[in-house]
Order: sequence, then C-alpha cells, then structure tokens
Amino acid sequence: MSLKSALLGIYDVHYKKLMVLSFLILLVSIASLFVVYVRTGEFFAKDVSLKGGITMTVPVDHPVDIQELEAFLKAGHPSADINVREITKSGKSEAIIVEAADVTSADLEKSLPEFGIALNEGEYSLESMGSSLGKRFFTQIMKALILAFIAMAIVVFLTFRSIVPSLFIVLSAISDIVSTLAVSSILGMRLSTAGIAALLMLIGYSVDTNILLTTKVLKRKSEGGTVFERTVGGLRTGLTMTGTALVAGIIGLYFTQSEMIRDIMLITVIGLVFDVIYTWFQNAGILRWYLERKDGRN
Amino acid sequence: MAEIKKLFFNFRVIILIICLVLGFFAINPNPWNEGVAIKAIARNSSAELAGFENPASSLAPMSHERIIAINNKPVVDIEDYFIQISNLEPNETVQVKTNKQSYKLEARPLVKTTVLNETEIVYINETREVNETINDTVVLVNRTFEKEIERSKIKTEVIGIEPLGFSVGPAPTSNLRKGLDLQGGTRVLLRPADEVSSETLSLMVDSLKERLNVYGLGDVVVTEVSDSPDFLGGTRFILVEIAGATEEEVRDLLGKQGKFESKIGNETVFKGGQDITYVCRTAQCSGIDPNAGCGRAEEGWGCRFQFSITLSPEAARRQADLTRDLKVVSGSLSEQLVLFLDDQEVDRLNIAAELRGRETTEIAISGGGAGITEQAAVDNTLKSMKRLQTILITGSLPVRIEIERIDNISPILGEEFLKNAFFVGLFALIGVALVLMIVYRKVIIALPIMITALSEIFLTLAMAALIGWNIDLSAIAGLILAVGTGVNDQIVITDEAAKGGAEGSYNWKERIKRAFFIIFSAYMTIVVAMLPLMFAGAGLLKGFAITTILAVTIGVLITRPAYGAVVGMLLEK
Repeated sequence: MSLKSALLGIYDVHYKKLMVLSFLILLVSIASLFVVYVRTGEFFAKDVSLKGGITMTVPVDHPVDIQELEAFLKAGHPSADINVREITKSGKSEAIIVEAADVTSADLEKSLPEFGIALNEGEYSLESMGSSLGKRFFTQIMKALILAFIAMAIVVFLTFRSIVPSLFIVLSAISDIVSTLAVSSILGMRLSTAGIAALLMLIGYSVDTNILLTTKVLKRKSEGGTVFERTVGGLRTGLTMTGTALVAGIIGLYFTQSEMIRDIMLITVIGLVFDVIYTWFQNAGILRWYLERKDGRN
Repeated sequence: MAEIKKLFFNFRVIILIICLVLGFFAINPNPWNEGVAIKAIARNSSAELAGFENPASSLAPMSHERIIAINNKPVVDIEDYFIQISNLEPNETVQVKTNKQSYKLEARPLVKTTVLNETEIVYINETREVNETINDTVVLVNRTFEKEIERSKIKTEVIGIEPLGFSVGPAPTSNLRKGLDLQGGTRVLLRPADEVSSETLSLMVDSLKERLNVYGLGDVVVTEVSDSPDFLGGTRFILVEIAGATEEEVRDLLGKQGKFESKIGNETVFKGGQDITYVCRTAQCSGIDPNAGCGRAEEGWGCRFQFSITLSPEAARRQADLTRDLKVVSGSLSEQLVLFLDDQEVDRLNIAAELRGRETTEIAISGGGAGITEQAAVDNTLKSMKRLQTILITGSLPVRIEIERIDNISPILGEEFLKNAFFVGLFALIGVALVLMIVYRKVIIALPIMITALSEIFLTLAMAALIGWNIDLSAIAGLILAVGTGVNDQIVITDEAAKGGAEGSYNWKERIKRAFFIIFSAYMTIVVAMLPLMFAGAGLLKGFAITTILAVTIGVLITRPAYGAVVGMLLEK
C-alpha cells in the first residue's frame, strides 16, 4: 500500500511535470513523423492495401529464410518493391506473405517455385489491388478519419456542454493517434486498411477513458473531494479498463495467424499504452490545471 | 436463493434471456446436419433438367436443399459425394435424394476428342453454284458434289460422365455465413470506365451475373457498391464474389466489356448481341478444330478451337455485300474476316472463295490456346473457347469495365484463420477474466462480466445470421472491438455500483444510472466514428463498421442493462 500511496503522492505533487512530459512525448512523436516525411515523402509507409500491389499468402511446410527469399525476389525483379513476412504458429513457419508493388502476379508465381516454395492451386491466396484504387481508398479513409474525429468532437461537446474540457478530450485522442503512428512507423510497420480500422478502434478506447475522467471531474462535484481526489476515483476504473484491453491485445498479438488481426492488435496495444499517458497525465493534468485556475480566479 | 429468484424476475434479465433464446433459433445450430448442401445448379445440366432450382443467394444456409443419398446410398460428406459421383456410369439414371424430395437424373456421357497424328480421307457434301444448260439456256443452279478432303484422324471416346451440374458445399451446421476470406473464393472489384447511371449499373450487374452463370459458375454474388453515400456522389463499383474460380478465368470473364465485332477491311460485318442468333456449344459443332488440331509451339504446345455461330439474315446479307467485289487468291478471298474483342484483334479467318457474295448464316469462329503439355494446351484452348462463347451469348456491357482489385483466397488458409480466430478470442477472454479476478478478488464479479461478454458475441452472431450478414475477418475485428468496449463499460458499472458506502448519498440504482451516462457517451462516439467507415474503400471495411455498431448497440440496449441489474443485486447484499 505504501508504494501505491507513494505513487499517488508523486502523481498529486508533480502533475504539472507529468503533463509537460506527455506534451514532450507528443512533440517527439510529431518530430519523428516529420523525419519520416522528409526522408520518404510520406508520414508513414503504406502497405499494398493502401497504395496498390499484390499480396500472396502461401502456406509452407518447411522453414523459409525470409531475408534470403526477399533478396532473391528483389534480385529477380529489380524494379519492384517487395516485402516478405511470415506467419508462425508456436515458433514454426506456417505461411509466408509476399507483398509486392510494380510486379505482376504471374511473375511472382514463376519466381516462388524457383526458391523451392511450392504453389499448389487453391492452397495459396492472391490479392491484387489496383494502384488507382489504393490511392482513392487512402484519401477516402483519411476523410473518414477526419469525419470520425469531427463527429466524435460534436458528441463529446453535446455530452459535457463545455468547450474547453471537450477540446482536451479531442486533443488527447489526437495525441494518442499521432504517437501510435510514430511508434508503429519506427517499428517498421506499414499502415494497412486493417491498421486504419485499428486507429478508429483506438479513438473509441481513448475517448472511453477520457469521458470517464471528465465525467468524474466535471459532473461529480456533488460527490465532494478535490479535483485530484475525483481524478484518482476514476483512475482505478480507467486502469482496469486499459489493463484488460491490453491483456486481450497482447494475447491476440501472440496467438493470431491473421495478418489483419495482427495489425489491429499491434496498433491497439501501442495505442493503449499511450492512452494511459494521454488520459491520466495529459488530460487529467490540463483539466486540473484549468479547473484550479478557473476556481482560483473566481 | 431468494436473490437468485429475484434476479430471474428482473425484467432486464428476462429480456436478455428472451433475446438469447431467439438468437439460438436465428443461428439454428445443428452440428450433426447430414449430406452436402447444394450451392448452385449449372445451366442446362442434368440437375437442372431433373427439376433442381438454383438457390437464391439470400437463402439462409440451413434452408439450402441438401443431397442426402445417391442411388439410396447415404452421402456422408463432400469427399463421399465426389467418390459416389465418380462411380456413376454413363447413361445411367441416377436417383438423388435430398432433404426435400427425390429426383431422377440422367448421367450424360463425357466424350473426349483426341486429334491423332494420322490423317484420313473423308468425303463431304458440298453445294456449289454451277452453270448448267437446261433447255438450251445457261442457268445457275445449286448442285451437290462429293468432295474429298484429307484431315487429321480424330478419336472420340467416352471417358466418364459429364458433370451433373451441382456445385456443392459441406452441410451447414448453423445459419452463420462465413465471409470470403474465411471460406475461400475470389472477390473482384470492378469499376465502370465511364460515368454510368444507376440503371445502367444494375443492367451491368445483371449481365455479369448472366455471364458467370452461362460460364458455369453458379455460386456467385454480384452487387453494386459505392465508396461514399449516394448524396455525396461517390464512385460506383461492382463487387463480385465467386466461390471457386481461377484468377485467369475471372479476369477474362469479368474484365472484358465483351464488345465482339468482325470486320472485312474497315467495314463491320457483324457484332455480338443482336447479329448472332445462336452459338453452338455442343460437341458436334464446337471443340478442338479437327482440321488444325494441336501442334508444337515455341514454348510447349498450341491448339486451335472452332465453333459455329448462326448469324441473323441482315448480318448474312452484309457479309454477302462486302465479299461480292473481292478477288480470289489461291482458294480464298483477298480480304480476311477479322474478329475483334473489345477492339483488340483476336483472330483472322480466310474466307473460302465459294462464299463470295453469298448470304451464309452459318459461320465458324476460331481461336487458339497454348499450354506446356499437349493436354494442358487442349484444356486451356477449350477453356478460352468457353469464355468466348459465353461472351458471345451474353453480349456486350454498355461501357468498358476495369478490374480494380482481385482477391483470390485459398479455402485452406481461410479455415486456418477461422480456427485461429476462435482460439485467440477464447484466450483473450480468459486473460481478461484473470485480470478482473486479480483486480476485484471476487469470482462473483468476473463471472457475470464474462457471461455478458459471451452473450454479446452470441447475440451479435445471431443478428448477423438473421440479416444475412457474412462473418469475415473484418467482422471478427469489429466483434473484438465491441467486446472490448463492452468489458470496459461493465468495469465502469461495477466500479460505480461498488463505491457504495463511502459516498452513500446515492442508492445503487442511482449510481448505475450515472454509470450509464459514461456508457452512453462512449457508445455514441464509437457509433459516429464508425459511420464514415461504412463507405470507405468501396465497402471493404463495411463489415468492420457494421459489426461494431451492431455489437455495441446490442450491448447498450440488452446486455449492459442486464449486467447492471445483476451487479446491483449482487452488491446490495
């Protein structure tokens, strides 16, 4: 219990420092996205589902050296953009995934058997996405994301009927998305449609905990206590929520064989960690600071 | 005991129980369902002649007709079905028993035609116009001559039976429909190259459906999709989902507008559609061209196919007019008949000298195919013949279409994913239960949360079965999201309700009501965040969005109130 009260003491006394820390993390995330932008011309790498190309999923019964296969395919098709990954099940290779742009499926189908990977009709999957569709898809999803944010902001505002705290919630959700994108980009992940679906999930989770916090602080004044006491009242509930989601996400990440679910789980897990920082350091901090200043003035 | 009794009389709990029972009937599970399900019936097949009807794609899986016995021998599963079918004799009358009634089918013989290396001399009758002197005047009359030609010998043999025309799948064990990425198949997203009205688009949907049916692919879903709501004027697409077809077949059948045209010089002789009245598809007048046969090509083998079509009288007249002034060069006319498909030349045919200026309605269309072995070449040639025939029969689409996306999903991988998704879900739930037990140190809290989460999954699946929604990977992702927020909400309810004593100014009902304020705001934000996704990417994320909205709505309306009631009573003690 002493550890818990010590931590709460730090949380109480140094809330401003923690708040500044959360903003620093946000700044570093934005900076890293810009570094990626300067280097590649894009804020994050997109996979074939967003820019067009081919995805082949081939089940394998023997271990395959992914790096070697990638090098082999790149040597065979120098102009193509090729990326090879594998799906493992309890440490054993289950299938390989070849993602490629600027190469035809027929060429890949010719190259893979040369590397000793058998292609039996009906056993492998082949997805090909036209590049114009990919681009259209991407701009639309970006629009969908922005629309989702606006709609969410409106709902939050209608809930609390108070502009500044609602803006804090939106800021927290945006920070969460930005930092998650930055970290997944550092991890070398390519953003897919599934990843974007995960980002939307994240908005949902992030807003969940933020609404909890804001309700506790703004709407429960009658329950008494200081802003900090009411924040701590929500903290336990919020951390339980994030904790269960994190455990579910990590389990999913470890066991799944589906690339789509893996993408979703990875982004969710990264985002949930940031959600803790942005809800309980950033939002709780600025909310407390804002309310104490407001009360002080009155 | 009295508490438990009271619980079951709480109306929120009663509603949940009623919904669970209704859900059970909607899913209608029966793991012991026997036989094989009929997915589609091929055109003009023995099955269609025997009275089988093509099931509508909206039919619930459990309502599909199932074959349960062939010739009084029970059909256990798909493998058994194919073994029994392969044992049938040509010309045999087959008795097929389904769960609805009995049918009698004729097993038609399958004939294989091989072109031999030997040649033979055959005599054919030929009608020619000749000058004859009748009553001292020279007139043109038609005479029939016997002509001697040399051609490759053909061997025809019966090698089995023609497909009966069923496309079958495993007997369904419930009304849940698996999406394409879980059961395997081909998904194609097509975009009309020009702006089209919605009437034109539905016309195109119908002709593509017709094309696939004529080609022999019955188990297809063709729908219109748009990538934004109608009032925003999004791009329209056609989404085609086919169970079992190769990528090549799909590209040829769906990617072509199907504008067929034949020209002599620069003049059009006939076009696909109104000018062609009949396309022969029987073995007598279509198949590997007996005069050309197969031969070695640069890489592997190449074959020629040939089939006859019947032209309308107007088209025949046009051909006569266009050939009248041509010269004869070594047995054929100086200009060739050139065939175009979608403005690309597919073949050129020599026109026999005797056809000059004649109105012929019978025309032979030919083309070629190649393969690595001779057998592969024959197969590929016959397949491309079938595709050309299909396009000629079904005619051209109003505008050109472009293939924007083709996904060919292997059924084996799909099966793996489904099994895997099930275990991932199970492990994740166990993990969540463990966390809850550590936090609350009470099984009595963790247990109802788990039961509620499971009920939510079950009810969402039941809803999907009821409205005919496919469960695919993106739907599973949506389900995970919804269950996650569900557990979150229940934690909020529990914490609010459990706070009791300290801030005892409210009773538990009041506190749960206050918890629902948080839950409702969170619910609304999720729903509005999902709405824009319904349209993005021509509906490919629709499954995710709809399932999430469906599941969180069920949660907020049915399961969370019941959980609130349960927790309230548990904590009241």
